Amino acid sequence: MNRSLLNKLFVFTTVTAAGICCAVLLFMMAVITAKGLRALDFEFLFTASRDFGAAGGIFYQIVGSLLLVVFAALICFPLALGTAIFKSEYLKNGHMQRLCAVLVYGLNGVPSVIFGVFGLIFFVNVLGTRISWFVGSIILAIMILPTVVLAAFHSINSIPQSYRESASALGLGKWQVIVKVLLPQGIAGSITGLFLGLARAVGETAPIMFIATAFSGVGIPGSFFEPVTALPTHILALTHQAINQQALQNAWGASLVLISLVTIFSTLGLWSRMKLKTMSLR
Amino acid sequence: MSASARIGKGYVVASTFISAAVIVVITGFLVINSWDAIRQSGLELFTSEWNPPKQKFGILAMVYGSVVVTVISLALALPLGLATAIFTSEMLPARFRLYVKSLLELLAGIPSIIYGLIGIVFLSTWVEHAFDLQSGRTVLTGGLLLAVMVLPTIITLWDDALHNVPRKYRETARGLGLYNFEVIRDAVLPLARTDVIGAALLGLGRVLGETMAVMLVIGSIDKIPGSVFNVLVPGQTMTSKLGREIAETAVGSLHFSAMIFMGLILLLFVLSLTIVALTYFYNPEQRLYE
Amino acid sequence: MPLWIRVFSALLFVSLQFGCSRTDSIQIAGSTTVLPVVSRAAEQFRMKHPNLNVIVNAGGSGVGINQLGEGKVDIGMASRDITDVEIQKHPGVEFVTYTIGRDAVVAVVSSEVFDAGVQALSFQQIGQIYQGKITNWRELGGPVKDILVVDKERSRGTRHVFMKLVLGNKEADAPGADLVLGSNNEEQTAISQSDAAIGMLSHAWLNAEVKGLAIVLDDGAVVEPTLTSIVDGTFPISRDLFLLTNSEPSGMTRSFLDFIMSPEGQKIVEESGYVRIR
Repeated sequence: MNRSLLNKLFVFTTVTAAGICCAVLLFMMAVITAKGLRALDFEFLFTASRDFGAAGGIFYQIVGSLLLVVFAALICFPLALGTAIFKSEYLKNGHMQRLCAVLVYGLNGVPSVIFGVFGLIFFVNVLGTRISWFVGSIILAIMILPTVVLAAFHSINSIPQSYRESASALGLGKWQVIVKVLLPQGIAGSITGLFLGLARAVGETAPIMFIATAFSGVGIPGSFFEPVTALPTHILALTHQAINQQALQNAWGASLVLISLVTIFSTLGLWSRMKLKTMSLR
Repeated sequence: MSASARIGKGYVVASTFISAAVIVVITGFLVINSWDAIRQSGLELFTSEWNPPKQKFGILAMVYGSVVVTVISLALALPLGLATAIFTSEMLPARFRLYVKSLLELLAGIPSIIYGLIGIVFLSTWVEHAFDLQSGRTVLTGGLLLAVMVLPTIITLWDDALHNVPRKYRETARGLGLYNFEVIRDAVLPLARTDVIGAALLGLGRVLGETMAVMLVIGSIDKIPGSVFNVLVPGQTMTSKLGREIAETAVGSLHFSAMIFMGLILLLFVLSLTIVALTYFYNPEQRLYE
Repeated sequence: MPLWIRVFSALLFVSLQFGCSRTDSIQIAGSTTVLPVVSRAAEQFRMKHPNLNVIVNAGGSGVGINQLGEGKVDIGMASRDITDVEIQKHPGVEFVTYTIGRDAVVAVVSSEVFDAGVQALSFQQIGQIYQGKITNWRELGGPVKDILVVDKERSRGTRHVFMKLVLGNKEADAPGADLVLGSNNEEQTAISQSDAAIGMLSHAWLNAEVKGLAIVLDDGAVVEPTLTSIVDGTFPISRDLFLLTNSEPSGMTRSFLDFIMSPEGQKIVEESGYVRIR
């Protein structure tokens, strides 16, 4: 076959493929937005759900989801930062570096349902915590750990060697260099990673559905060891009654809110990257 | 060394230790808890009958389901994703590229439970009508849904992989009088190959480990159909089985142990895929270009 | 001190404060048949005891019994009896059961099948459907359509009660099954989405899309699944709905159980579509 014709065929194929992908993905967005907006109003966002989710709003689900991820962030961040500093500043042995990378980034290869199963065995059964939102936060923190470590490591590791050398020349010890020079510079990347991790954590269902959430009767929890309700598990319960139009509409509304949260976290991540970068340059 | 420096060093060492230990602890717990099943059922775990009242725990039907769903979704998502990534990376004008990339990243962030909702409301009814089935909850539905789900991730990763290949290679190839498709086939793709394979492996891992969307649309019956190529019947994957059954199994029972064994198999598989992908393929040090 | 450290410490401080305040809670999990009653009762109970959280979770009778046995919840909900295996699994647990209402398990079909004339079947016929011996509605006088046989997860209470009567064994295999689903809601959705499905549901889940079949008894009598036939005991597949605790309950758990047994609580049982026992 002649090459010019082949080339045209090739271009045609890629354009068609891109067209199909666009169509599928835009359909998804359109469906969620259109159906979700119909359910969304002030009352939906700020009242408790009634009649098993088919009526009322999703206030406590939003609170629960935020609670889960805020604490996941609080648990994950110091851990990730410490790991990133150690990896970047102390760990110089090539083999150890590789081993550490495999162990930490390997967490990205753990299926989300396995995190849930592990939480069930370790916290709920071995430690006897009962079903608790705090356990959910710990599990989500573990889940997003590699994302945050990777981001923090890159931003700390990419600080030019000259910064470290000039700081040492001024008589700062290694730890002082880290605290005074590297952390202020590297924090932006870490926070970016944290937000991107949260964008993922807030939408996860499988890790929290056995260990952290309950079906009804949950308000703002009174202690660390009580369940909450969360948006993803709420959508799951509503999906089971997809034939009930009212429940279905609320499911779309909750989905739109959930996607908005994901988008807000991602955007905050990008924003913090730009904002904090300019700050540290000043 | 001052006190704060000592505390600081202790802190970073401890956090690294914890971060690295987590995955070992997870695997360890799964191994310990699946020990009963391995000892008592042994090779019977790899039969196809799962029947808790009769103490039969064969995970083959679930393994089959996972494999078939994965094959279907990748057979669709990989070619479509590659062609689309070539389009966005090589043909799309730069000013549109940013928008397309942002849109893709937004889509890659849609939680899987929402894909499940769409699967139940739209996809399963479409499959039911298109093939004139009794029920749209089939293995095919699960595969299609996962294909849609993994597409944005695959396209973004591949788009980056192709775009990272420096311009000079393309220019040289074009200078030799090659057509666009030859430039991509003979220069760009071979150079980007480690990243491309790595991204495909990551996609494979993601599809295998996905739970919520599959669990809602697959029909959840632990059966291998009469013809193993019949995908228009309900089935069960390892993840959907875990999602549906783990909460009702008593800890310490053989049933529980067998469930955990299945989880362990899943974990080991996805974990090794990811590690291989990250170490040997999706790794800047392994790149074939400067 | 950089901003982020201050934000971080503030959050940590707030969280510690919050962790120290404490309210009481009762945790309940189990059968999705009992769930509506308990959830509604919990809502009303909380109005009387504003400092108490009554947290209710679904999962099925198996989950309820299992989680009670493992001490994860204070009250388990079940729509079936505890099996011997379950009692053996939790040797240290003294299960105390409270019967809070009665319900019927109904063989249900898609409205299309019902309207086409399949309105009553015998246990033998239903059993043959689940065994895969009858596969088309034509064989039962219905439309020419393959039957979509909807089964339930094995530990579900509804399945135990249903299979005991239909196939003679509460944990019977159902080789004819096409789909295996979980909660009443999920099963109801699948049956309404189909036009040729049969399934098993609690009486409270019947509606315009999901019709209950009458049962043809051995003597030829036909009993329809109505509230009257459940109350007078003529409908053959009825069952008690239970709440379970580990040994005699005390404190708020006790008060909550008393509330459900009170006239007010029994009214909720009735409003949820079940039969009150007091």
